[in-house]
Amino acid sequence: MAGDTTTVESGESTAPDLTTILGALVPLVLLAAVVGAFVVAAPFSGVQTGAPLPDVSVTHATLPSDETVSLHVVNNGPKTVTVEQVLVNDAYWDFAVGDTPQSASTSESARTLGAMESETIQIPYHWQPGWDMGVALVLSDGATIHHTIVAPSPSPQITGELLGLLAVVGLFVGVIPVALGMLWYPFMRQLSSTWLHATLALAGGVLAFLAFDAGFEAFEIAHQVPGAYEGQLLVVLGILGTLLLVEAVSGWFSDGQSLSPLGVAYLVALSIGLHNLAEGLAIGSAVALGRVSLGAFLVIGFMIHNVTEGPAVVGPLADDERPALWHFGAIGLLAGAPVILGGWIGSAAYSPTLGALFLAIGVGAILQVEWEMASLIRRSGRLATVTNLLGFLAGLVVMYATDLLVTL
Amino acid sequence: MGELDYERAADLSRTLERRLVDRIEDHAGVSRRAVLGGLGLAGASVLGLSGSQPAAATSEGHDGETHGNFGARGEFDEGGFDPHEFLTTFNTGFDGQDNVTQSVYEEDGRRVREFEISAVDTTIEIAPGVEFQAWAFNGQVPGPTLRVTEGDLIRVTFTNGSAHAHTIHPHVKNVNPRMDGIPTNGPGVLNQGESFTYEWEAQPAGVHFYHCHSLPLKEHIHRGLYGTLIVDPDPERVRDQPGDYTHHHPSQITDELTADLVDTAKSRNHEYDENDEVQELVMVMNGFDTNFDGDNEVYAANTQAFAYGVGETDGRGDWAPGETKRPIQIDGQRPVRVYLVNTIEFDLINSFHTHSQFFDYYDHGTTLTPTHPTVDTIMQCQAQRGIIELDYSDHEPGLYMFHAHQSEFAELGWMSFFEVV
Repeated sequence: MAGDTTTVESGESTAPDLTTILGALVPLVLLAAVVGAFVVAAPFSGVQTGAPLPDVSVTHATLPSDETVSLHVVNNGPKTVTVEQVLVNDAYWDFAVGDTPQSASTSESARTLGAMESETIQIPYHWQPGWDMGVALVLSDGATIHHTIVAPSPSPQITGELLGLLAVVGLFVGVIPVALGMLWYPFMRQLSSTWLHATLALAGGVLAFLAFDAGFEAFEIAHQVPGAYEGQLLVVLGILGTLLLVEAVSGWFSDGQSLSPLGVAYLVALSIGLHNLAEGLAIGSAVALGRVSLGAFLVIGFMIHNVTEGPAVVGPLADDERPALWHFGAIGLLAGAPVILGGWIGSAAYSPTLGALFLAIGVGAILQVEWEMASLIRRSGRLATVTNLLGFLAGLVVMYATDLLVTL
Repeated sequence: MGELDYERAADLSRTLERRLVDRIEDHAGVSRRAVLGGLGLAGASVLGLSGSQPAAATSEGHDGETHGNFGARGEFDEGGFDPHEFLTTFNTGFDGQDNVTQSVYEEDGRRVREFEISAVDTTIEIAPGVEFQAWAFNGQVPGPTLRVTEGDLIRVTFTNGSAHAHTIHPHVKNVNPRMDGIPTNGPGVLNQGESFTYEWEAQPAGVHFYHCHSLPLKEHIHRGLYGTLIVDPDPERVRDQPGDYTHHHPSQITDELTADLVDTAKSRNHEYDENDEVQELVMVMNGFDTNFDGDNEVYAANTQAFAYGVGETDGRGDWAPGETKRPIQIDGQRPVRVYLVNTIEFDLINSFHTHSQFFDYYDHGTTLTPTHPTVDTIMQCQAQRGIIELDYSDHEPGLYMFHAHQSEFAELGWMSFFEVV
């Protein structure tokens, strides 16, 4: 593990012989046999405790034109459901099912959703920007699934222009602030190791804040995730899975030794990049859902917010030989550019599931980086000094203050 | 980042705007308007989302664009309950539905109209594709319309085939409490398989109804256990006691008025030829709570949402009838009489409104002179009912809408048309 100096003490690592492998397979074979017997004999077929309830959700709505409301619907349950009627603001209304209003169909097969199937319901409705709409799907048994479209506004179409725009926004929100923040590198090199550690601790505070911020957000969005995907557990899996994977990658490259400062810098950049991917996703989806107003403020807020990520990525390098300049470019892009990618994904294919997962991945990556940075400080000093603790606190405070600017 | 919350974002933006403007104002002679305008432009240009977009969209005009239409998608399954047939189906004992055993006979010098009514648990279609687990008299909602003449004895043999306990409670003037059809009186509730013969006096003349009075009452009614009971006035009795059929003071009852009342009674009474001239329709305003939230998801006249609507329309004046969703065709040269009953639950009132038409309304149908002459909207509370007399003889042929004027009810199914031909 990074930071550890233990030597590998593995015994003789001979490949397991055939009997060992067979022994490992026995339980699986028996399980398969039992499952097969159940399928054939169906001993519990008499156990019937009522029919499963329909479990359908409207994950989100898009408004491709002022004549159309598109509801993105997923059937989470095991039971096939048919959408028989649609209500808009307590009135039965025309609708068809399909990816676009033009290709949509009213046939029963189009209106029927199998288990885990998703569909888009197209409603020709002349909606009013800013006026909330309550929509409801009525299933064949009269069950209703309600969804409120808060403050509707047109969803932009995915065009080259929009993608270009999102790239520019991503450049301003991700790449430029990180690059600006990296310009503190020469200054940081002048610092004594005490202050340098404090700066790293500040970066750690910045990242810790981001982890909490994104973590809460992930769990919040997880509530909108269709039930079958187990949103909360998906977030947990995303966080732990990323943490373990990045840790494993880091261990692989450092080959059991502690990671070089440049390696840590790349890891920090990667984790911030993953976080920024989620940030870009949020921006892109806000655009897709028509939820962005006063874009200038948002962009300025993100810039101020993200400029603190610059010193975080170059911090690990301050105490060491200056690496080749292209490394800075690569690190900056790795940290900042994913905002653009996230923006594209978010605008083209938004779903709460994707949003929660991306946020969780960012959190996991950050947690791993915190670990890495702590061992970096510990290598040349003590972790819990007064300046380090205050630096960490300062990082949290700075982020709290600048976070006020970026409430989407 | 916080939640994607429009309100919060707007509030925050306003706060920040104000703060920035205040700060800049402290510095130089920059006007507040210039700062705000600049911000707005910057904001719009960065994300390319400006207020001009909705305006551009609406300016596309209406041609070729559909605004969509309210109304239920699709058609009802055929072969089930037919609300069009139901409108004009009366069970008089002489004739009626095949599945209602009925007869008329004399007993102790009095005419008896006997009907066999059962209660069953069944599934009905209330909007195209939407089913409702109903409790129903003779398997239909509303239950069979019973029609008798004032002075008859109504004998109803009720057999409960439902898994729940039910009764039949009639809205007529009953002098024997055993026959009131409530849990505390007579046989009380009837369990599955039990049977009881109710005997009710056919009085007073009017449009009445019957319903199950088991508890919880709200559920037993809204699940579908109700039907119309029409007591036609007896012209001979009207001639003898005209004061019973009008709000006029006895001193105002002239021979001429009496003659009018008798004529009206003949027009109302199914045993007289004068009645054949009138196009009589039964409409039970009902609703269905399909998701158990104590509110109706479907409203209708006679159970099926939009069944008296049109099959399709472009919303631009063109329409076509559907197989099961089609207007009620009426002959404009003959009078129309609607027996209207409100059996709605969960909502306090229901209403009936005619387009381009005024009508005379007889509350409860117990008088032969209108209680509300020349109105185009009447309201009924739960269990209220009345008779509506319409005359389309001076109207051009075409569609004339009628509906509940609670717009919510109309858009949830209680929206209908007469097609005058």
